Amino acid sequence: MKKTLIGLCVSAACLISSAAMAEVKINGFASVKGGLTTGNDDTLYGYTNDIEFKNESLFAVQLSSDLGDKLSVTAQLMAKGANDFDAEFAWAFLSYQLNDDLRLNAGRFRIPFYKYSDYLDVGYAFDWARTPRAVYDVEFDTMDGISLYHSTSIADMTSNIQLVYGAYEGDISVSGALSRSKVQDISGGSWELSNDWLSARIAYFMADVTINATAFTPLFNALNTFGFGAVAREIDFNEDEGTFFGFGLSYDRNNWVAVTEYTNVKVKNSYMADRDAYFVSVGRRFDTVTPYISYEKDDDTSKSAIYKVIPPQVPLLATVAGVVESQLADRDTWSFGLRYDFHPSAAFKLQLSSAKDNYTLDKDRLLTMGVDLVF
Amino acid sequence: MNWLKFVAIPLVLSSAVATAEVAVVVHPSNAASLDQAEISRLFTGRGTTFSNGSKATPLNLAESAPARAEFDSKVLGKSSSQMKAYWSKLVFTGKGTPPKELGSDADVKAAVAADASAIGYIDAASVDASVKVVGKF
Repeated sequence: MKKTLIGLCVSAACLISSAAMAEVKINGFASVKGGLTTGNDDTLYGYTNDIEFKNESLFAVQLSSDLGDKLSVTAQLMAKGANDFDAEFAWAFLSYQLNDDLRLNAGRFRIPFYKYSDYLDVGYAFDWARTPRAVYDVEFDTMDGISLYHSTSIADMTSNIQLVYGAYEGDISVSGALSRSKVQDISGGSWELSNDWLSARIAYFMADVTINATAFTPLFNALNTFGFGAVAREIDFNEDEGTFFGFGLSYDRNNWVAVTEYTNVKVKNSYMADRDAYFVSVGRRFDTVTPYISYEKDDDTSKSAIYKVIPPQVPLLATVAGVVESQLADRDTWSFGLRYDFHPSAAFKLQLSSAKDNYTLDKDRLLTMGVDLVF
Repeated sequence: MNWLKFVAIPLVLSSAVATAEVAVVVHPSNAASLDQAEISRLFTGRGTTFSNGSKATPLNLAESAPARAEFDSKVLGKSSSQMKAYWSKLVFTGKGTPPKELGSDADVKAAVAADASAIGYIDAASVDASVKVVGKF
């Protein structure tokens, strides 16, 4: 009880002192979504045949304050259902406006991998129930560092360039186990050129990827013991060079909305497949209702060369081949859905997705519905 | 016969809405010339200055004001929901803040009359000598 009181006093004092210095703006967004797969054994995006409301639900508040003299500060606190609604700072950065066109951000911010990276969690900002997962699949999405943002007009077009440098430290899931990871020297940028109805975007990033993949420790020990240390080093992530390339186009005119994005993700000297993915989505706005259809393709090429050096009689071969080939993927996903703007600040979403694995011929179908809002 | 009634009511409503004209207004001392593209730039945060280079402060009407939806659709070419989605993209990335919102035509007129950098819009029927009209839509 005492603790709560002190907490209250401290936060009240904070509010009073900050109010005296600068106005703090509070904005927020939230999503409440429920989903279930239509088949008994189907699983997709963390959903199963039992209806689930936590998976993609989230609440977030953003605090921002203009401190004057071109300096501002922004922090976003987000609680995701997938993390049991434990709130954490999704991002927090200082912004300094160098001149009319140039702004420098420092702190934790979203990596501009994709067209919708900046507002991945703000469901209200797009029509789908979720961004297309085949493409939006890099295992981390924020970084700590600096970012230079350049925005200018070229004829009737707007050009936005964002350059970043920094690192990500956190958990990345490898072979089903969360593993401590360091992605260092993340450098690169994105460039988007747009007018009122058309936009084109490219992005390129490089980084050194290190992942302590504990799931592989027994395998690596065995490989080292039997003299296949070189194979272990081809599988692990040890300051291995990762690259990301992305390209996107979007069209929004006369109530037709179309978006496409292509990405290629690679990590050299690791067992991670060379990932190629793209999606195409077309929608039509009928006043407050926007139905859409989208197609996603995920084509990941496994690095079979890694285990070709192991002679057939070595028992480890099957294990290594299994690990490497687990990365092979060829999936088609079709989604049909609609957005309904039933309220000035909230949109209802309904989406049916069907994902087909072209190797196993398994099909997983998922029905999601929910509400995205901003406040 | 019933369906005729059903069709007739929305038609009457939409024509009533369509006749409400929106006037974009600035301070009487503001000599800047503004076309629809220029106004759109200011109200979407893509531009921050008038044609003469002086600072512009756009003022929005609250969503409850009828002229807001008119302005969003006629001048910006978007629905109010689309504009909200547009601004949420900028707000939640720290890249921009939407124009300040005022509650009524009278509030906008008072604010524009008091600030040489202000630009707002009101129902054309509310215009008086305290503000200068730079465009009607």
